[in-house]
Amino acid sequence: MAKVTVSPEKFNLVFFDAGEIAELVGSAAARIGVDADITVDVDEASALGRARVTSMDPVTLSVQGGAFEDPKRPRHLAPHNVEDVASRLLFRVRDRLDPSFGDPPPDEELTLQQSTAWDAYCLGRAERLGFHPAKPRRLYHFRNRHGFSDVADAAFERLWSADGLTWADLEAVCAETEAGRQAVG
Amino acid sequence: MKRHLRVDDLARDSRFVRLPLEARFNDPRPQGSRSSSGRSGGRRLTPDRPGAPDGARALMHGIFVGEIQALEGAGRTCYDFDTGAGADDVPFQLKLDMARQCWDEARHCEISVKLSEWMGTEIGEFAESTFLFEAACNPDPVLRLTGVNRALEGLAIDVFNAMRDFGDLAGDPVLEFCEDWMLADEVTHVRMGSDWLRRLTEADPERRQRALEFQSIVDKLFSGGGFRGEEEDSPIRLARRFRQLAGFTDAEIDSISEGSRQARREAEAARQRAAAKAAG
Amino acid sequence: MADPKKPRPAFAPWDRRELPGAFDVEETARRVGNYKWVEMRLFEALGGWVATVPELDVKMRLGTHCYKHAWHSELWHKRLPELREMNPERLTLPANSAVEEFMEAITEPEGEDRTLEKLVGVYRVLIPHKIAAYTYHLNNTSTITDAPTIRSLKLILNDEFEDWRDGEMMIQSLIETEEEARRAADRQAQLESILVRAGGIAGPGSIGMPAPEEVTA
Repeated sequence: MAKVTVSPEKFNLVFFDAGEIAELVGSAAARIGVDADITVDVDEASALGRARVTSMDPVTLSVQGGAFEDPKRPRHLAPHNVEDVASRLLFRVRDRLDPSFGDPPPDEELTLQQSTAWDAYCLGRAERLGFHPAKPRRLYHFRNRHGFSDVADAAFERLWSADGLTWADLEAVCAETEAGRQAVG
Repeated sequence: MKRHLRVDDLARDSRFVRLPLEARFNDPRPQGSRSSSGRSGGRRLTPDRPGAPDGARALMHGIFVGEIQALEGAGRTCYDFDTGAGADDVPFQLKLDMARQCWDEARHCEISVKLSEWMGTEIGEFAESTFLFEAACNPDPVLRLTGVNRALEGLAIDVFNAMRDFGDLAGDPVLEFCEDWMLADEVTHVRMGSDWLRRLTEADPERRQRALEFQSIVDKLFSGGGFRGEEEDSPIRLARRFRQLAGFTDAEIDSISEGSRQARREAEAARQRAAAKAAG
Repeated sequence: MADPKKPRPAFAPWDRRELPGAFDVEETARRVGNYKWVEMRLFEALGGWVATVPELDVKMRLGTHCYKHAWHSELWHKRLPELREMNPERLTLPANSAVEEFMEAITEPEGEDRTLEKLVGVYRVLIPHKIAAYTYHLNNTSTITDAPTIRSLKLILNDEFEDWRDGEMMIQSLIETEEEARRAADRQAQLESILVRAGGIAGPGSIGMPAPEEVTA
């Protein structure tokens, strides 16, 4: 099982438990098949919800505190949200470690369209592995980035149910929805 | 059935979780890292931000629970006061207006449920702040009306306008359509409040002054520490044009704007104190 | 086309309206005042209950129905001056003390665990009685002299039938056990018994039947 290190070890602004986060992320990594050591950097001062893979060596997940937070109990950890973030990012890690996937740019250079397309592909696989991502929420994200159209909805469904895609496939989806948006605009 | 309910009396099913006001104010995290929902914000809500879809979802849920409270507030005004001309009474026509508002707010709840579903949000997914209903609890009917129909419904104008713009920019036809319809109703509600405030206090300038002071306090509270204001980075901008349509004078809008700035400074100071305390 | 100057009957052959009606101006005003009083108490209670019911769908329906009954009370309020009652408040009264007691009893439930009692009172007792009284009025008033009341009655009855159906469906969806079925029946019986004493929402003769003592006298 992957060794998971959570930073900070002790939280001051929120009521998070580093050990609990490490256990949840480690368990997700084992189910997804990522056996590299993982560092989880949590920005506890931020209630925003952004989470990215910021390094592959060592594997580092940088997470704003809001992404792990329980929206019903501000400043408290929501295990479900930790699993949701971990499964999404660790599928990205698995894709990046797979030479046949291709060579995607670093997370911070992804466009919003690329990022949501990859998320749909990751979370669809996560759902089939037994995680519980909120598909309607992800569809709304996808529509915001790829257009409120039948073309975008069909693309989302394809990504969600797909396995074995490559980075080129994701780019093709982005190009397809971009063409749809241009046609409308 | 007793008259004059407290916030704690509001009935909800098991999906809803209430967020006490002090939990918001005691959050030591910097203001720029959070919105009214506690999720994402501190900056203007625009679709190009990475967290914008989730920010819009959280805000929409806040609107939904706000509509429930507005419905409850209007309903209680139908019940809590006798019909008559006394200081503690309300005119029959005012009750009819409040009943009409009940129907409008019930419709807004229905719209919000459908819209939330469209945005991928579950009912009760986010905590419910009850500060809106607190303005609807005032035992003086004039103050209650001012708090609800001018301050609360005024905030609704600002929020619906912001969400409608967000829907337009994001190309979300459902969001834009729904917000525009709700915005139309809110302008009517604010006008109703302005009209009744004038009529009920025509012969009592002192009472009118008290009502306006109460509105100012509520407006400041609803500014959410800078959440709503005229600063470039305010997540929700004051909707000047629609407020004018609803009967607010420029001086009144300026005053709300200044109150928002003050609320922002005070909230930041409170947070700094909380952060210092958390750091030991 | 027919000659426009040719005399025609004032009442076309298909227009069967007649002058006679069961109510004079005074009796009509009394009934309308009773109706207004009941509609007012009802919309106030529905508005007050919105905050006390936890069921979201019920909460929203009560908010909608609150306005409908407020509008009914406004229709009756506006009708009163047309019936020679220049001070509408004077006739905005319960038909008798039992009607007052009935409305007190209907609005008594408060707790969030008493949605069933709230709904049964309104949708299984009051609204059926309103439909009965309004229908009797509609079918017995002069179709010529009292046309404005007839128009209001038709508009209101349309709302009442819709709300009755809404309410009955909410009640059926809330009853899940035999014990709850009994709760609903007990509540209905308790309120019905008060209305028997009242003689209906407009007092004895609400639906034309004389009060029992009148029959035996």
